[in-house]
Amino acid sequence: MLDLILSQVANGLVLGGLYVLIAIGLSIIFGLLGIVNFAHGAFFALGAYFALTLYDIFGWWAVVFAPILVGLLGMAVEHLLIRRLYDKEPLVSLIVTFALALMIEATIRLIWGGIGLPFNPPPLFAGFFIWGPVLITKYRTTVFLVTVLLLIGLWAFMQFTPFGRILRAGSRDPEMVGLLGINLPILLTVVFGLGCAIAGIAGLLAAPLWTIIPSMSAGAIMPAFVVVTIGGLGSFPGAVIAGLLVGVVTTLTIQFWPEASGAVMYVFMALVLLVRPRGLLGERWERFE
Amino acid sequence: MSATRPAAAALRRRTLLAASAAGAGLGIGGLTKPFISRAHADEPIRIGLLLAKTGDIAPQTEYLANGTYLALAERDNKIGGRPVELVWLDEPSPQGAQQNMQKLVQEQKVVAILGGALSSSALAEEATAANLKIPLIIDNAAATDITGKNCNKYTFRLNTPVAVQARMFAPYALNYGKKWYFLTASYAFGQDINRSFHELLAKAGGTAVGNDEVPLNTPDYSSFILKIRQAQPDVVLGGVPAGDLSTFLKQWNELGMRGKIPVCEIAIGDTDIWAVGPQAATGTYTSLWWYKNPVNPPEEQKFTQDYQAKHGKPPADKAWMGWITARSVFESIEKAKSTEPLAIIDALENWRGGSDANPYMYRKGDHQFLLKNLVVQVKDKITDQWDYFDVKATVPEQTGELDALFGSPEVNGCHMNSA
Repeated sequence: MLDLILSQVANGLVLGGLYVLIAIGLSIIFGLLGIVNFAHGAFFALGAYFALTLYDIFGWWAVVFAPILVGLLGMAVEHLLIRRLYDKEPLVSLIVTFALALMIEATIRLIWGGIGLPFNPPPLFAGFFIWGPVLITKYRTTVFLVTVLLLIGLWAFMQFTPFGRILRAGSRDPEMVGLLGINLPILLTVVFGLGCAIAGIAGLLAAPLWTIIPSMSAGAIMPAFVVVTIGGLGSFPGAVIAGLLVGVVTTLTIQFWPEASGAVMYVFMALVLLVRPRGLLGERWERFE
Repeated sequence: MSATRPAAAALRRRTLLAASAAGAGLGIGGLTKPFISRAHADEPIRIGLLLAKTGDIAPQTEYLANGTYLALAERDNKIGGRPVELVWLDEPSPQGAQQNMQKLVQEQKVVAILGGALSSSALAEEATAANLKIPLIIDNAAATDITGKNCNKYTFRLNTPVAVQARMFAPYALNYGKKWYFLTASYAFGQDINRSFHELLAKAGGTAVGNDEVPLNTPDYSSFILKIRQAQPDVVLGGVPAGDLSTFLKQWNELGMRGKIPVCEIAIGDTDIWAVGPQAATGTYTSLWWYKNPVNPPEEQKFTQDYQAKHGKPPADKAWMGWITARSVFESIEKAKSTEPLAIIDALENWRGGSDANPYMYRKGDHQFLLKNLVVQVKDKITDQWDYFDVKATVPEQTGELDALFGSPEVNGCHMNSA
């Protein structure tokens, strides 16, 4: 039994890595823009669909092009819609982005149809590693490594580049940044695009594991919200810790009480919020207090 | 955040008030407005289509709807010279489906309703059909109780019930061995499969080495697969629906289990397997119909050609299910020369289809569609993007065995005539 528990914990960490990847774009958009983006799952689904379509034209270069395309679409959405919500209360952005999510899902259904579409990982990533009781597939290991690299890259970008410093300052005091002569609206457009592009990366990496159907967006958005809420809204390291915890809690529940595996992440979220209402690493935000 | 609370509270209050008013309106409307079933001769005959438009079942309902519309197009959109309109409403949940049934009957004045994709919704819909006194022909849901203890005069059902499919399929699953691992969805359909196969396995002297109930829309099966790998069963007996089955099979292959332990399931859809892709598809299943089955009668072969010409791909089993359900209703209304519910019901009870070798009909005692099922197996090597299955058997072999295999209405708990 100990072997199986070890195996499930390892599997939970890898699953948690996928949850982190799905949640991180949502966390960035909320942390820097203050927008609760309910359409995040729809951009996740678009990443999978774009990868599928572009694969037929460009082969595995689709892995590069699909998230870029999702990011560009996100920038267009920010320019046309989201920027009108910055000075509104959070409930408005929630409702508008929820409508956007429904619209994107309906558009996917219109273009690609409602039935599931096949997409498998490249043969290079077929097979698995076995270390004692632990079995992890090469593909999931790759997803985990991509997530780690992406997180390190994002952290370095936000901490050590002038662009990142401006973004962090702008998220706390946009007026002051504007008075310093910085064109903040363009930066915010880029940030929203970046968050959507990361959702697109998550979508294309999940495509060989999940069924590609229009409703796959719903399967992504709820874990993303749970992870971001547990970690603390807008907290980068909080989302990482929460994602890994949710992964492990879910897999251990499957081992001992499979019927409850769908609900356990919500129970876990409720428990965390009861003890710490701002989430594990959530900070006090003057904009929202 | 506190600034949002009054607005949110007001929103909830207004939503609640509006919902209550709407609910009250519907209820009062249902009590006071007379039910009008007879359409005027110069008006189109309206027929309701109640199928989910979103969710994981949507890939199947798309095909059900395609088949239904094709059956209407074959008749130039007419029944007995009168134009026909299909009115398609969603079945988002059991309650939502019941509300939409009321809309179809009271606002759209439909004379019959086709639909019922998920068992949980269909069980609620058939109670509403009896209340509204409207013929309901359920084309997809397979829960045993629909034409078992919950049966009623107004409800017909096309799909073969879970308990019957289990009886048809169990000998083939037992060929793989008697140590089974159950992986079934935690709602009516999965629980039905779980119960039926457990009984059959016990009778055969087999053992269940694992029994996991899986929440609907589970995105990751890797932990379940690790448990199965550890248990080393002879066969995995699945009961997960639609997109969930596709996800499971993709991850089953990813974890290197394809070809090592056989996967068996009943009541799947072709689209579930098409979504998996040739690299990962595997398993042995039951199916009502397969477009490449060489014994399909000429009219079904023509349906396949027409469908392919219109949609650019072959019809899935669900398309045939939508098509044959619609045909049975259209032909029954034409034969009845009436849109009165009881006349349609009488005509449906006497409707016959299929060929001499494979006839099918609704049984009078419980309104269950009787037809032979197929046992299909995914090919070892798939070279065509649609041609995934080999037909391994037709069950039962003899038409005369159908009635016994389905079990008598009384044995199944249906007491329609005494109700």
